[in-house]
Amino acid sequence: MLPRIDGSTKVIVTGITGRAGRQHSRIMREYGTNIVGGVSPKAEVREVDGVPVFVNAVEAVRATGAVACVALVGAMQLLDAVKDAVAAGIKLLVTPTEGMPVHDAVEALELTRAAGVLWIGASTPGMAVPGAAKLGFLPHDSLLPGPLGLMSKSGTLSYEAGYRLAQAGIGQSVWVGVGGDPVKGTRYAELVPFYAQDERTEGLLIIGEIGGHEEEDFARVLIEQRFNKPVFALIAGRSAPEGVTMGHAGALVHGNHGSFEAKRAALTAAGVTVFASLGELVAGVRARL
Amino acid sequence: MYLHEHDAKELLARYGVPVPAGCIVGMDAALPEVLPSAGPWVVKGQISAGGRGKAGIIKKVATREELDAGVRSILGRVVKGRCVERVRVEACVESSAELYIGLLLDAEAGGVRVIVSLRGGMEIEEVPATEIRSEVVRLDTIAIADCVVRLAMGYAPAAAQALREAGAQLANAFVAAELRLIEINPLFLRADGSWVAGDAKVVADEGALERQPALRTLVEAQAAHYVESAVKLEHGFDYVVVDPVGEIGLLTTGAGLSMMLIDELRANNLKPYNFLDVRTGGFRGDPTRLVNVLKWISAGPKVRIVLVNIFAGITDLGEFSRLLVEAMGRVPGFKLPVVARLAGNGLAAAREVFAGAGIALYTDLDEAVAEVRRRLEVA
Repeated sequence: MLPRIDGSTKVIVTGITGRAGRQHSRIMREYGTNIVGGVSPKAEVREVDGVPVFVNAVEAVRATGAVACVALVGAMQLLDAVKDAVAAGIKLLVTPTEGMPVHDAVEALELTRAAGVLWIGASTPGMAVPGAAKLGFLPHDSLLPGPLGLMSKSGTLSYEAGYRLAQAGIGQSVWVGVGGDPVKGTRYAELVPFYAQDERTEGLLIIGEIGGHEEEDFARVLIEQRFNKPVFALIAGRSAPEGVTMGHAGALVHGNHGSFEAKRAALTAAGVTVFASLGELVAGVRARL
Repeated sequence: MYLHEHDAKELLARYGVPVPAGCIVGMDAALPEVLPSAGPWVVKGQISAGGRGKAGIIKKVATREELDAGVRSILGRVVKGRCVERVRVEACVESSAELYIGLLLDAEAGGVRVIVSLRGGMEIEEVPATEIRSEVVRLDTIAIADCVVRLAMGYAPAAAQALREAGAQLANAFVAAELRLIEINPLFLRADGSWVAGDAKVVADEGALERQPALRTLVEAQAAHYVESAVKLEHGFDYVVVDPVGEIGLLTTGAGLSMMLIDELRANNLKPYNFLDVRTGGFRGDPTRLVNVLKWISAGPKVRIVLVNIFAGITDLGEFSRLLVEAMGRVPGFKLPVVARLAGNGLAAAREVFAGAGIALYTDLDEAVAEVRRRLEVA
């Protein structure tokens, strides 16, 4: 289950001394995220923009009491960062890095599941509780507090959808970028119970894409758990060629596996309103919320 | 990365998997002096997609004349939007049974799904569920091999033995080469109990290429056949030609948004040429990526216009617009009209830069698309 995130939640950033780590730590703090520490194995840097830097997450958690971690490190270093965060007892781990080797992701999934860590990513812009805090890259122009729960495989498509919905006055309750990798920490289906009980959430939007069967699994869980809020979906890639990875490692159709039609059929059968374009999405959601 | 059957077989052979003798023939249709066997042969068109038999790019041939004709008839065929640029010529296999074995990463379970069946030779989706044995195990060589041994229990001795052998070899390959999927279908079982992989489907992990030298070498050596993976490896971003006769070159960032834009353009009877996730965050002040993309798009024989769509979360649009204009100047003879839709940080600066360069700028994507349509209709 997703722990409660707000402006008081203590967050550390692994890789805070790197280019992206430094930049996004600053932007997250501007948004209201309570970044209490950073992690970098480089012993010579002990502070970034007033934030204390520790040699590993274990030390950082011991000194700060952080419960959440955003890891901004390279794809080949990510598994080590996950191991470090798990060892430190982090409860919520967000890993935006793209291109994590899939076999590393399997190992990271085993570790986080065994330790009861909620892992979001990889290949995600992160998550946000609009108006309170964000963990990752989500652009401020797209964030607006409101009633719509939002989960997305794609960063940019969710920025665009979130932005257009926000322009139409529809904001988000909790926004989670589940990410575009095939093997990942959190899938749509696992957050259904969270959105079911979350009082701020009056409707749920998933932004999906071809490849895998995550949308189908989500549809099945909606039915099993009798999810009773309106659910909307936008699925990208209906005209993508077979056998080619479309940007995201997970976005790969082979045979009927992962096709747009299979997803649309499963979602429609679960009562989800599936939209074919961004314009229809905004009009359709506005009509229902 | 979906490997051609030929490359999949060469990879698996390194892990001990027996494959029929075969050779590769390119667009010149020149057969080697020494053929893989005295015949008969199977001629198999190589593309990164399944359903090749149904598409007519797999043919059995008996004589040398039929072989020549078969090779020529399959080369150059377009199947599922892909041109067949090489064929594998393989010795025909006499078999007494066709089995199935597959290993695939199960994303939900976080392990490996192991599947075996005595009913190979058809799509696994079409085999009745009662005829399939399947289990999910840890991503571990021994766990996978043991699982195949368990699943094959009770099968006729020769079939069980073949599956056990294949299981051990495939488990090694799967873990060592960091694969996402291996499927041997059919696995030909001969009357004498020996076996051979009739077909091989392998999906490799692009994210692991950096530490998989054999696969990396394959992508570099066969860049023409793995265009998308080669681009990603060399340039660090994703570019896919989705319609060789498309009219609209796309300069976009973000996988999902780029895919969605292609869907919407097609639904409106417009013809996008390419998919692109250029990753503006990776520019670091250098226009090289944009120069490359503009060159590739300009090479599209029917491309008449470029549509730019950047939703800048973090990217500074002022810097992006300067880099784009600089890149246009660096592509010799570039004169395609450009319609841009930008949203996000630094819009005012971008507006100034684009006005000076004669680029139409919109902040609404639908309006930008309408302008593209108008220009295509006028021209």
